Amino acid sequence: MYQLLENTPSLPISIVQRLSDKSCIPFDKDNTDYQQFVRDIKNGVQLNDAEGNPITGSALTTFINTLP
Amino acid sequence: MTVTISGTTGITSPGGDIITTSLVVPTINVQTINAGSSNTLSLQTNNANALTINASQQASFVNNVSMPNTFGFKNRIINGGMTVSQYNGTSSVTVTNAYVIDRFAIRCDTGSSNTEGQSTTAPTGFINSLVFTTGTGASPGSSAQNRIYQGIEGLNVTDLGWGTANAKTVTLSFWVRSSLTGQFGGVLNNSAFNRSYPFTYTISSANTWIQISITIPGDTSGTWLTTNGVGIGVFFDLGMGSTFVPSSSAGNNTWNGSDYRGAYGDTAVVGTSGATFYITGVQLEVGAQATSFDYRPYGTELALCQRYCYCVPGTTAGDRVGGGFIFSSTGGIFYVYFPVYMRASPTLLGTPSPISLNDSTAAYAASAVTLNGSNVNFAAFAATSSGMTAYRGCQAYFTNTQTNTLLLTSEL
Repeated sequence: MYQLLENTPSLPISIVQRLSDKSCIPFDKDNTDYQQFVRDIKNGVQLNDAEGNPITGSALTTFINTLP
Repeated sequence: MTVTISGTTGITSPGGDIITTSLVVPTINVQTINAGSSNTLSLQTNNANALTINASQQASFVNNVSMPNTFGFKNRIINGGMTVSQYNGTSSVTVTNAYVIDRFAIRCDTGSSNTEGQSTTAPTGFINSLVFTTGTGASPGSSAQNRIYQGIEGLNVTDLGWGTANAKTVTLSFWVRSSLTGQFGGVLNNSAFNRSYPFTYTISSANTWIQISITIPGDTSGTWLTTNGVGIGVFFDLGMGSTFVPSSSAGNNTWNGSDYRGAYGDTAVVGTSGATFYITGVQLEVGAQATSFDYRPYGTELALCQRYCYCVPGTTAGDRVGGGFIFSSTGGIFYVYFPVYMRASPTLLGTPSPISLNDSTAAYAASAVTLNGSNVNFAAFAATSSGMTAYRGCQAYFTNTQTNTLLLTSEL
């Protein structure tokens, strides 16, 4: 399970936290943890927004389409 | 002077006299050329010395030397001597799929209570090894993976020409020791996991170091990355399920268009409770022969490792981590610059050791530290606390006297 991390005010979200070990993963397509994150959420692993609410349905699809 | 030509003793003359001849012989097949006790042996081309070897066995080349395995970065394996251990120091750990020491990851799907870590048990010429000790022990399931792994970055194997007709032969060598005997193995594969070369070797004596050398012809097929992705994956098999090994020995020691991570018939180290497996001196070099281990300066080896893992160290309360600013009563940002450009923007691995912020008037222990942003040469961290005053500069430092870590990884 993953959760987006709120960024410094006025900067876009670019970090996701892997909740199993609290690791923080940047949105970098060369980062292997990020590559696994993308595979996981496409395969249905839960992604929460910065407040802890699950992102589902069209909102999830839209979010995935914005990822690098 | 009498010159004797003997099939047993070779060409000899009384007193080791120099034999001079203008005779041109296309090929001379000899076992020993002996210049005598005090003479210099010379090899000439175009009537000039190309190589001389004096009576003290010191060799001098007159012109450039070209060898298949270059003098610079001969060994494409990083931390092959297992000396750099930023992840866990000298501690033994139990992992299911993680880097144990720098550049060497262990995946262990089978059994429980397996332990891994840096060891001081090593063969002559080395001070460290990577050790795996089986815990409860169990037979690997069909899809289980138990292995030691290093992914070699594609940018470090651009000269090999794999996937082309000019693919170069490489030789993998390493020292290994196990409490078990029998056939062991491993694999070289590509990043797409559709080309693999399962190799085998034998350990005949338990608990005895042995050096293994495996020569592998370059793969002329498949796609082999020359980018910052995985150029060549190197696996050492600790017990692979049947899904990940050839169905017979015919698939061993040859290139396959399949996803293999071990060889057919390998001993499953994970199958025996208490079994040990040590490895060090791992070297992958161009050419058909293993040469001496490429001992690099420790600082060089550490820097090579830091492209993939950077541990901000600290052992004492107050050891500085970085500088930054406070942007609210509950939040601050601090920065860490890396000593080496990393392979990719790194992950902050796990939870860092306790960190505090000091704005020159007071100290604030952070209740949480998360990654706020990173690229290949620096990272910004967000620290959460309370009672702070916004718009002040601050220093971040480790709160406690202990082995502190803040680990950033961009491994393959």
